[in-house]
Amino acid sequence: MRARTPRSLFLLVAVSLVAACSGGGDITDSGDDATTASQGPVETVAPGETAPAATTTTIALDLLPDCPTDALAAASGTTEITFWHSMSAALGEEVVKLTDAYNASQDKVKVKLVQGSYEETADNYFLASQGDRPDLVQLPEYQVQAMIDTASTVPVGKCIEASGFDTSQFLPSGLNAYTTQGVQWSMPFNISNPVLFYNKKVFAAAGLDPDVPPQSLDDMRQFSQQIVDTGAASYGVALESGFDSGGGWYVEQWFAKAQEFYVDGDNGRTSRATKVLYNNGTGVDVLTYLQALLSDGLAVNLGDNTQTGFDNLLKLADDKEPAAMTIATSASLGQVLDVLAGGQFPQLSPGDVGVGPMPGPDGLPGALIGGASLWPVDSGDDVRTAATWDFITYLVGAQQQSQWAAATGYIPVRTDATEVEPYLTTLATDPRFSVAYEQLAASPDALTSSGPVVGPLREIRSVLATAVAAIFDGADVQATLDAAAEQANGLISDYNARNT
Amino acid sequence: MKRRLRDAPAAVLMLGASLTLLGVWTIYPLIRAIQTGHLSCDQTGRKCTEKGWGQYLDVFQSKQFQDALMVSVKLAVMTVPIGLLLGIGLAVLADKHLRGIGFFRTVFSSTVATSVAVASLVWFVLLQPEIGVLSDLFSDWIPALKNPGLLRDPDTALPAVALSSIWASLGFTFIVITAGLQSVPKELYESAYVDGAGSFRRFTNVTLPMLSPSILFISVVLTTRALQTYGEVALLTGGGPEPEKSTTTIPYLIYGRNSIISGNIGLKSAAAVLLFLISLVFALVQFRGFEKRVHYGN
Repeated sequence: MRARTPRSLFLLVAVSLVAACSGGGDITDSGDDATTASQGPVETVAPGETAPAATTTTIALDLLPDCPTDALAAASGTTEITFWHSMSAALGEEVVKLTDAYNASQDKVKVKLVQGSYEETADNYFLASQGDRPDLVQLPEYQVQAMIDTASTVPVGKCIEASGFDTSQFLPSGLNAYTTQGVQWSMPFNISNPVLFYNKKVFAAAGLDPDVPPQSLDDMRQFSQQIVDTGAASYGVALESGFDSGGGWYVEQWFAKAQEFYVDGDNGRTSRATKVLYNNGTGVDVLTYLQALLSDGLAVNLGDNTQTGFDNLLKLADDKEPAAMTIATSASLGQVLDVLAGGQFPQLSPGDVGVGPMPGPDGLPGALIGGASLWPVDSGDDVRTAATWDFITYLVGAQQQSQWAAATGYIPVRTDATEVEPYLTTLATDPRFSVAYEQLAASPDALTSSGPVVGPLREIRSVLATAVAAIFDGADVQATLDAAAEQANGLISDYNARNT
Repeated sequence: MKRRLRDAPAAVLMLGASLTLLGVWTIYPLIRAIQTGHLSCDQTGRKCTEKGWGQYLDVFQSKQFQDALMVSVKLAVMTVPIGLLLGIGLAVLADKHLRGIGFFRTVFSSTVATSVAVASLVWFVLLQPEIGVLSDLFSDWIPALKNPGLLRDPDTALPAVALSSIWASLGFTFIVITAGLQSVPKELYESAYVDGAGSFRRFTNVTLPMLSPSILFISVVLTTRALQTYGEVALLTGGGPEPEKSTTTIPYLIYGRNSIISGNIGLKSAAAVLLFLISLVFALVQFRGFEKRVHYGN
């Protein structure tokens, strides 16, 4: 067993490690003909202005799969359909409850549930063959373009049209979020948006009105100054740079509040997006503002927030160096109140938690929706498609949405769900639950209120989150955003080259 | 030769089950991954174009892969020697015929029954800065536990992940080394004792050489595990802290929630195959490097 000297192997390792130092390109540029990022000048679109008509395209509905909603009535026996959903823990139990109730309510359709995380469901869906795909899939808002590009679904708009389904009670921002180029692709199901959580006791101790949260970013800074100056709390704001929160999704929100587009093609709504716009004046202003909050000691940086997803909320309940305010998704409100009711944090009771709209530039109202929507899958089987549509109409019914919203903290997708029990009582007894709903209802009717639609949005958020973390650590705002935008544009052109 | 041929059907029959499993679950996916690694595919993995085998080199040399490789190698350097030393230490301590030693053996080996997820959650509950047990108890003496917290400081995040990893694999090391110790013939100790060797000499000149096959085995397994670390990172740090990405290992670069190649199966496959090759090289280097010192009994 003394075949070869080990030296050759050590040499191999040494050589490969040395070779390592000579590269240093971006991983997404790998391979021949690597597409490079488009380097055109950054266009800024004035609020309310639409992109040039030349780039506006509308997809012909005739070319998309039909939705024969009347096929179910003609069918005999029970049709079994599969629903891949992405709700876990308490949220998942609520989906099971709704589905059981639907199965029990009639005998034409039986729904089978398969549960995963958003990422798992998306990965499984994309890589499965059409025959292995479910009849219905629930995917998050950042997957819209990716789902459209699979060309595997029945557009919900066709079902609405075929069945004469009444959408007049639906929140327009919910429907618009899942519409591009004139096509309603999917049905909103669970909607959330970021709101401001704050400690009313700290506000009172600092001499602020505990029932008046800051409306604008300037307010938030002034309040923080007063809170720190009076010693009511160690910090005004707890910031974080997670890719699906402070480092990505919130920046998209601030662009919507400023009524600015985040990607070109009118946020990818009128034509396919080719580049990000977040390194423009609005992006620089917002991040410079946040950087100054940190460097002036008014805010604390909690990093990526990935460990619990709630590190920033926990900072409000910290017994040694608490912060007074933080921004988090409205969907966590129920959980926050539950945890505090457990008495684990004696310094913060459920009644001390205040909720306000997410502060934005100039205090303008409005928010983008987060959460997920329902995509009926094109199985080629009319009866199954019709059965799937029947189940969708059940899930977004006023009664079901009221029950769903009351149990989870999500915003109902329709206004009449706020007028029936049990959500009616929830809103009446705890107005904090209505903040996210009102903020969404106040969104201006413009394409900027619909959020960016772009293939690799998840990856773009990740790239921006790294940049935001660097900016929080003191990096130059413009240069860092420019570099991140260039990397994001590379991701977009690479995605578009592979998927169109 | 004739005899061998005659045995062939029986051999195939007996190997059949494991060959099938290995073929379906390991060899076929590996070949597919190698093939996919030079392609550029749409997100469904069906429409693909050739990007050339140079894609492997480009991925290897990319900044992201190099950074992740560095993290993985650092993790191996932190976990393997310490894990080995602790495992040998505990095994030698517990290799005594004392009353109640069974209890300690059970305790020392218990982490083998602990999944990475559970181990990571245990350490998370200890280390979390706001509600963590350690920061609650000791932050007055060690302020870094609270602000910024070991998992949030780019310098301490990786050691903290390593700590969880070492703890989780300690049970496995302990069991293998204990088994190794129990197969050392007692006569060797007796003759060493007769020759006048003290307890330290007996450890270095009898125990360690006799344990060398187990040590080599553990060292290769721990190194491979360290290079493939995913669960601890996903649960403790999410690949952060950003912007340094101090704990983004190669598997996390490929499959993490914030992976920037998550929609690109060609690059993911290339990176995964490279990780396989790197693990292979590390294993071969250890086999070759320690071959002469490993004592296999006869």
